[in-house]
Amino acid sequence: MIKFENVSVLYPGTTKPAIQNVNVSFQKGEFVCVLGKSGAGKSTFIRCINGLQPVTEGSVKWDDKSLSEMTHKENLEVRRKTGMIFQHFNLIPRMSVVQNILTGLFGYKKSYENLLGLFNSSDRMTAIEAINQVELTVEPTRRVEKLSGGQKQRVAIARALVQNPKVFLGDEPVASLDPGTAERIFYLLKETHNKRNLVSIINVHDVVLAKKFATRIIALKEGKLVFDGIPEEFDEKMFAEIYNY
Amino acid sequence: MVWFKRRQFIVFLGLLVVVLLSMRLTEFDLSKFKDFQNMSDFLSKWFPMNTESLPFLFQESLLTIAIAFLGSLFGLIIALPLSFYAARNTSNNRIIYTITRFFLSFLRSVPEFVFGLILLTTLGLGPFPAVIAIVLHNIGVLGKLISELIEAADKGPIEAMSAVGAKKWIGNLFGVLPQIWPNVLSQFFYRFEVAIRTSLILGLIGGGGIGQQLFIHFKTFQYQLVSVDVLLIMIMVILVDYMGGKIREKVI
Repeated sequence: MIKFENVSVLYPGTTKPAIQNVNVSFQKGEFVCVLGKSGAGKSTFIRCINGLQPVTEGSVKWDDKSLSEMTHKENLEVRRKTGMIFQHFNLIPRMSVVQNILTGLFGYKKSYENLLGLFNSSDRMTAIEAINQVELTVEPTRRVEKLSGGQKQRVAIARALVQNPKVFLGDEPVASLDPGTAERIFYLLKETHNKRNLVSIINVHDVVLAKKFATRIIALKEGKLVFDGIPEEFDEKMFAEIYNY
Repeated sequence: MVWFKRRQFIVFLGLLVVVLLSMRLTEFDLSKFKDFQNMSDFLSKWFPMNTESLPFLFQESLLTIAIAFLGSLFGLIIALPLSFYAARNTSNNRIIYTITRFFLSFLRSVPEFVFGLILLTTLGLGPFPAVIAIVLHNIGVLGKLISELIEAADKGPIEAMSAVGAKKWIGNLFGVLPQIWPNVLSQFFYRFEVAIRTSLILGLIGGGGIGQQLFIHFKTFQYQLVSVDVLLIMIMVILVDYMGGKIREKVI
């Protein structure tokens, strides 16, 4: 479904590529965790999937069509089909829980509808369903700054869910949460993944979490793909290799 | 003297020279204050205040507030969209960015007084050219200040909006504006306060309002009215500052 062909990304003003010659593909139903040290290229890798980061060389293909050959409209559609969550949640401050979740529908609505907040009752229902699905128990009208880290990430997941995604991306979604909350968020991600039969690709620091939840693990080291296999194959030797112990 | 390097002494000496030169140019001389008596004689003529024309002057103050309010509000409304083009992170095109920046600094470089003088020729005397002059200058000032707020905004929400597939301008708007809104408001209220003082100056060239009254009273030696004008001006500025603070508190 998603295929990387010889993908490299070189940031302007640098000489060493952030990711280098990556070849990998993902199929429906896979829950993939991406491991690697800070600076190994995980964030760049994940952003190449929905085109937030343009590639310097090679191509990222969705159902055999390269992102760089798509029209602007098709690119927006790829993003709309891709729910993405972030380490720092990236919610819109000073807006409420439900307002934040409704922004997930921006890709589906006309500009004036987004601008004026014209959402119909079925949109609102979708938002309420998402709130229930992520088991968010706070007032939907509450401002997001007032929430805890775990609650914020649940709002972000709900925002991604209303996009009705086919693909779920996570850029260190639990790195700023405590271990207990991190595990509960992962549990929620996996549950949603199974229910909706998605492709999920998630960057994570925590190898234990990755081994517990992933159906497949890939690992990056200095921008290169150095491991691709089932969690059981990711042993201590591999761990040492990636984290330089 | 371990805190100082030699280079800092040189900078200090250079600064000293510039200060002395500037004092020379401005005839800066504190000993001139020995004629302090003159000032207190003059100020004593301001009292007692002549409160007879207070209702009229109050009305003129309202006109001043109206000039300043429209001048800064319309300035804000026009500056806000422009500032997105003038910010590096939200402008989609280097050329548009440069042109907008240049346009804003051009507007900033022309004082309201000069805009007023030019506008007089087509709009005639009165408060309307004063409003337009303040609008034009404020577009330049607010556009620059807001574009800097946009550049300093957290890019996370903007990225999240791209990730949901929102159009770029919608993503920029929602990703940035809620973040910077309290600061936009405080800039606005500060400019409102400045606009009150500016509209006083524009009174000199027939812009109307309390500024024009102040000018007339001064020229006709009606000092007991001058004191009323000054008092009203002080009240206005403090009031706007206070209101701005209150509104900003509510918004945060």
